[in-house]
Amino acid sequence: MSRSKPDILEPLNPADSFTLAMDEEIRKDGLAGSYGCFALDLSDTPDTVALQQRITEFSQRFPVALASLTQIGRRFYWCRRNDPPQLFFQHHCPKDQNESDFRHSTLDRIINDKRDRESVAPIEFHLLTGPSSHTFFTRWIHPFCDARGADLILKYLCTADEAQRQKFGLPETKPLVYVQLRKYRWWQKIGLFWKAKTYIEKLDRLESILPFQDNELPQRLNYKIYTLSEGQTDRIVKQTRQHVGLTGTSLYYIGCLMRSLEKMQPDRAGDAYCAPYAFNLRKQRALSPMTGNHVCALFAQAPRAIVADRQALFTHLKQQNAEVIRKQLDYAFLPLMWAGSWLSLKKYGETLRLSYGSGKERSSFWFSDIGRLDIPAASFPGAEIKGLFHVCQVTSPPALALLSCIFDNRLILSYNFVEPLGNSEYIEKLHRIMLAELLGESQ
Amino acid sequence: MKKKLRDFIFQELVFVADPEAFADDDDLLEAGLDSMGIMRLIMFIENEYGITLPDTEIEPDNVRSFNALEQWISRHQNG
Repeated sequence: MSRSKPDILEPLNPADSFTLAMDEEIRKDGLAGSYGCFALDLSDTPDTVALQQRITEFSQRFPVALASLTQIGRRFYWCRRNDPPQLFFQHHCPKDQNESDFRHSTLDRIINDKRDRESVAPIEFHLLTGPSSHTFFTRWIHPFCDARGADLILKYLCTADEAQRQKFGLPETKPLVYVQLRKYRWWQKIGLFWKAKTYIEKLDRLESILPFQDNELPQRLNYKIYTLSEGQTDRIVKQTRQHVGLTGTSLYYIGCLMRSLEKMQPDRAGDAYCAPYAFNLRKQRALSPMTGNHVCALFAQAPRAIVADRQALFTHLKQQNAEVIRKQLDYAFLPLMWAGSWLSLKKYGETLRLSYGSGKERSSFWFSDIGRLDIPAASFPGAEIKGLFHVCQVTSPPALALLSCIFDNRLILSYNFVEPLGNSEYIEKLHRIMLAELLGESQ
Repeated sequence: MKKKLRDFIFQELVFVADPEAFADDDDLLEAGLDSMGIMRLIMFIENEYGITLPDTEIEPDNVRSFNALEQWISRHQNG
């Protein structure tokens, strides 16, 4: 019996493969996979007809949204399906159920939905409605797009004018990882590859401090969202400017979390905090590429002794970051990611996570800052955006990810943690310390 | 100098629909130049012009527009 040849839409680029390796690692932990999620809190029940129409239009223009992730040989591809998956789901709160419980349990189910990566839709849109709360929830599997891509997709859905929507995805471009790699000659790529390898080996000389004991099996992702006031956000922006200047916003959040974790558990084993964070290769405000991952990785690492001194920590992180960019170590990870994409998922995952020195997890936590979100509040079809947050699955260890963004002049912190390794009480305490750190109220 | 800065910023860091229409006094921060972009821009300037821009001078007023950038760089070239 002959099997029909898969109808390939596009191969995964090296940054997609990087996220796929993480998806495999998360699944190996028994969790759902590398999902990213955006939630919009809406003022009212939106115009579902317009929403459905725009989602359908989006999937027709970007058919990879309906594709299936398929392994052919060692590589993975987005392939056309015979039966396109449903992308838009509506969930109504039953009359006899508490609205807040309904929202939490529904989002929990969507975030922790365990399905094969071959059968899950690359992206899904869920509308949760009740008498007083309305949430538009987008969940994507990470090889499909990065957070900036998801932000673009939301903007697409929030664009009423069809002619304006047509501008999304243009100009068409190759994956930006390839665009950047093409700027180097082959010997330069080899030089960068060795630079990145040496850099990681240097990081691995210090054993990373992990936030949780790993003596329990991971079961599910949970999250806690804190939306700060405009006044608090303003003070934090000023503190950021004062301590790390214009160029290190992410470093301020990372440094504050390192110090908060150290205060929570000064007796944890390890030498240093190490946080990977992605930087995006996209141009700011560009409307393309819509799909795919266009990121590269950086690391912030600080030995315990430096973490103890607030000012010394920020000076250290800033110098480290400047050094990395000066030596082009940021782009050095591109050839490494390209080479990694040819490894088996198992081998690639181990390489990405485990330090060469100790064989233990390299990341103390995951971090992502998507900066100021500029989706106009009134642009959502038939409702106003009142607030938002994002969520991501994370490997265990470290079982902790901090995501940040600013919307409507308010900083939103999303703590994502794997239960039972972490729990809500721990996160509440961590946030209290973190808030004092961010506001500059701690020493 | 401004042409080099324009090429770098518009090719690498910030998308504007019509770069020609972007005036030398228009606000680059409003246009989307973010902290990572500023870092890359500074490294580009230091390599391109053989100068060192002190951390203490990385202020919005010095990076807000092409005119501001040109003045900032010139001060260090002449200094």
